[in-house]
Amino acid sequence: MNFLKSILFKSKIKNDNTLDAVNQRESFRGKENESYWSVVRKQFKKNKIAVWSLRIVYLFVVLALFADFIANEKPIAAKYNGEVYFPVLKEYAVDLGITNWDKDFVNVSWKDLEYEWVVWPLSPYLPKNIDFLNTSVGPFEEQQVKSSKWKHWLGTDALGHDVFAGMIHGTRIALLVGIVSMGIAAIIGIFFGAIAGYYGDDKLKMRISSLILYILGFIIACFYAFGTRSYLLSDSIGESFSDFSLELLISFIIFGAIMFVFKYISKGLKKLPILKKEVVIPADILISRLIEIIDSIPKLFLIISIAAVVAKPSIFIVMMIIGLTTWTGIARFTRAELLRVRNLEYIEAANALGYKEFRIIVKHALPNALSPVLISIAFGIASAILIESTLSFIGVGVPAETITWGSLLSSARQDSTAWWLAIFPGFAIFITVTIYNLIGEGLTDAMNPKLKK
Amino acid sequence: MLKYILKRLLIFIPTLIAISLLTFVISINAPGDPVETMLNQGGGGDGRSGEKLASEKTYEAKRHELGFDLPLFYFSLTNATFPDTLHRISKKAHRETLQRLSYEYGEWENVSSYYHTLRALESKLYEVEILDKTSSDLRKLKDAVNVLYINYDSEKMAATIENIEFDLFKNKTIKNSCSNAYFDFINAYNQMLVNKSTFSRYIPVLIWYGLDNQYHRWISGFVVGDYGISFQDKRPVSSKIFDALKWSMILSILSIVIAYLIAIPLGVRSAVDKGKWSEKLITTGLFLLYSLPNFWVATMLIQFLGGGGLGWFPTFGLGSLPENAPYWDRFFETAYHLILPLLCLTYASFAFISRQMRGGMLDVLEMDYVRTAKAKGLKKNVVVWKHAFRNSLIPIITLFASIFPLAIGGSFIIEIIFSIPGMGQLTLKAIFARDFPIVFTVLMFTAILTLVGNLVADILYAYVDPRISFSNKK
Repeated sequence: MNFLKSILFKSKIKNDNTLDAVNQRESFRGKENESYWSVVRKQFKKNKIAVWSLRIVYLFVVLALFADFIANEKPIAAKYNGEVYFPVLKEYAVDLGITNWDKDFVNVSWKDLEYEWVVWPLSPYLPKNIDFLNTSVGPFEEQQVKSSKWKHWLGTDALGHDVFAGMIHGTRIALLVGIVSMGIAAIIGIFFGAIAGYYGDDKLKMRISSLILYILGFIIACFYAFGTRSYLLSDSIGESFSDFSLELLISFIIFGAIMFVFKYISKGLKKLPILKKEVVIPADILISRLIEIIDSIPKLFLIISIAAVVAKPSIFIVMMIIGLTTWTGIARFTRAELLRVRNLEYIEAANALGYKEFRIIVKHALPNALSPVLISIAFGIASAILIESTLSFIGVGVPAETITWGSLLSSARQDSTAWWLAIFPGFAIFITVTIYNLIGEGLTDAMNPKLKK
Repeated sequence: MLKYILKRLLIFIPTLIAISLLTFVISINAPGDPVETMLNQGGGGDGRSGEKLASEKTYEAKRHELGFDLPLFYFSLTNATFPDTLHRISKKAHRETLQRLSYEYGEWENVSSYYHTLRALESKLYEVEILDKTSSDLRKLKDAVNVLYINYDSEKMAATIENIEFDLFKNKTIKNSCSNAYFDFINAYNQMLVNKSTFSRYIPVLIWYGLDNQYHRWISGFVVGDYGISFQDKRPVSSKIFDALKWSMILSILSIVIAYLIAIPLGVRSAVDKGKWSEKLITTGLFLLYSLPNFWVATMLIQFLGGGGLGWFPTFGLGSLPENAPYWDRFFETAYHLILPLLCLTYASFAFISRQMRGGMLDVLEMDYVRTAKAKGLKKNVVVWKHAFRNSLIPIITLFASIFPLAIGGSFIIEIIFSIPGMGQLTLKAIFARDFPIVFTVLMFTAILTLVGNLVADILYAYVDPRISFSNKK
């Protein structure tokens, strides 16, 4: 027991990497004329690997944006019956509801039409197209195609889906997963982290009357925003993602409006002397416990069970689940940074000037806390992409007709000789995960120059 | 310290409650009816009335045995249309339809009488003798009734009811025996439509159910170690988990031991040799290994070393030697099957541990006391292994915490790929089969192990590094 006693009286040292980074930052701000971000940019640019990783990300963004022009069953441009058409562009317009297809082109097989001249995309297939003549053919095997234009450059799977087309269109999903899920995670994480860090355990004071009103308001707002609308919300998930986001937005507006009403009621109650007593809400403790609880939930199992019971699987639900379960890292970093920032003099000055707390947090405190958040977003994107491809690899949560890198890779399990199905999609996942990790490392080094000399 | 541990143990409680609630919410929202899964029966069928009654009785009995006839939770905050006695309706699909109807039309009483008259009509239909001239109409009518049971869309309901009317009055025999029941039903249906009101869905209502509810039964069973029975094959959950846990533990423990054995020397080496080209090679290699998705590596190994490629290794299951084969034969057979899965499990964790070890060592090597040790002329090896090594272990110890939950969830995807009957496969199958007693237990145990692991790591941390203390002295 002696050792227990001895440590009892020593001070607690928190092993916190971010604090370390912060101290570094203070010290290398020596050159006053340079802004912090320009220094970071300079440091980041010195890291050749990270810079190249960023360039590959740009390349992926381009691939994702122009996927329809790279792999598509329709020609990019063609002259047919004396008229020039741009079918790929036209499809966007049709999807938006601006125009309709000419009756010549409804339900036609584009590749069988007789064009006067035609510009095909690099690969004339969509991921969903099935080539019955060429099932499970490798890139170097004999393929039954009209000409080399129709070759499956990366082979096909057991049903005859073109792997190259799947890879190109899969880029979209991979990037979307990273952006959407980390976007959700960042919003929640920064919100909770900022409250925990800025208010700490002592700054958030509230009158008892307001506290009770807020709790009441929260319950009622939940009821009207989500309870009574639960059927509307769950029906719209089945419809489409945009319907669902619209309904969700309406729910949040209702929620906000009700909270607003209760805020005004609580202002009105200010005059009542009985309820004037103030309580301090330990925001930091509450939120830290919440983070601890969420962190100890076995995430992958949880995500799989949620994804498996959703009535209509969709890639967007997977993104939302990933976002909703992975915000804790961002919240931790934001909290740690704001705990430091809140005691700095300029915040005190802002307080003295009488600025609203919301403004101080958003405009003055948060921008100074963003660097570690950026790092954890970079790593978070890597792990989100990994989680999504794991899910589609085991076939959970992603509908069967959506072709992703993970689902392409999983088709290699059924066909043990189809090496092309194992190598290409897996390599794409690997590269994407690696470059995001490298960018994360590059950012860490750039913001913490002690490690790099 | 004791106080600290107690405080940490107290946090276990809300965490576990949160996780159990999450799992519970998922399980009640899962599609499919667990009672039907267990009884393996289809829909209503169109047997005779006796058969139908019997099957409904067994359904009801099973439902009661599993506790699904209880309310879900201690209380429910819902709107005024919500039927408070809904949990008494036996079939899950019917319950969902009725809840929805009640929400759409506002009055539970009307919806309830709609449901009961529909039931009465159905039982009248089952009483009609099946003869040549009635059988096809009866079948149609029964199907239509089943459609009504699971539909709340007003147009679809109206169309189905029109069909019922048509078929019912077409045939004299059916008309004679069922028309009264039908008129009752039509009255109730019209009553429901006419009295439609939407405002009561905006009135919040709190219903208190008390302790006798499904969640309470579930969680108190868990606390005393009764994990229920699997919906899939009626075996107790604990024995299924025990069987699966064995393989997951073997895989995880072996891979972790191997990973540490390789990683620690490698990490130290690469820190000591910082700047040499060999170190750069190792570091890059480790980074690449760390980023390799293990399911990709597993697929590649199967493709190239297993079945499709060289055929060196088995890629499926654990071998199929009979139980009475000599022990060592079985041992080697199993070990042979475990080589590839172990490889996949090990490389990633060893890359990760090496990187952490390297980081820890680099930090320590820059410290003053190491410089002093060097300066007084100690041999490099002595400085590294005797002075620096112990302190550089501190970050590795935090990693140790993750071992506990890894034993359950770590080898999950590898197990699925190589068809090893471990926890991962068990859980995934359970999730797909909506076998929630298993999912619930696995999630809870993984969470408990995560919490215990974190606690153990923190205590170890304090043990190896006396500068760390958990008392709040300032």
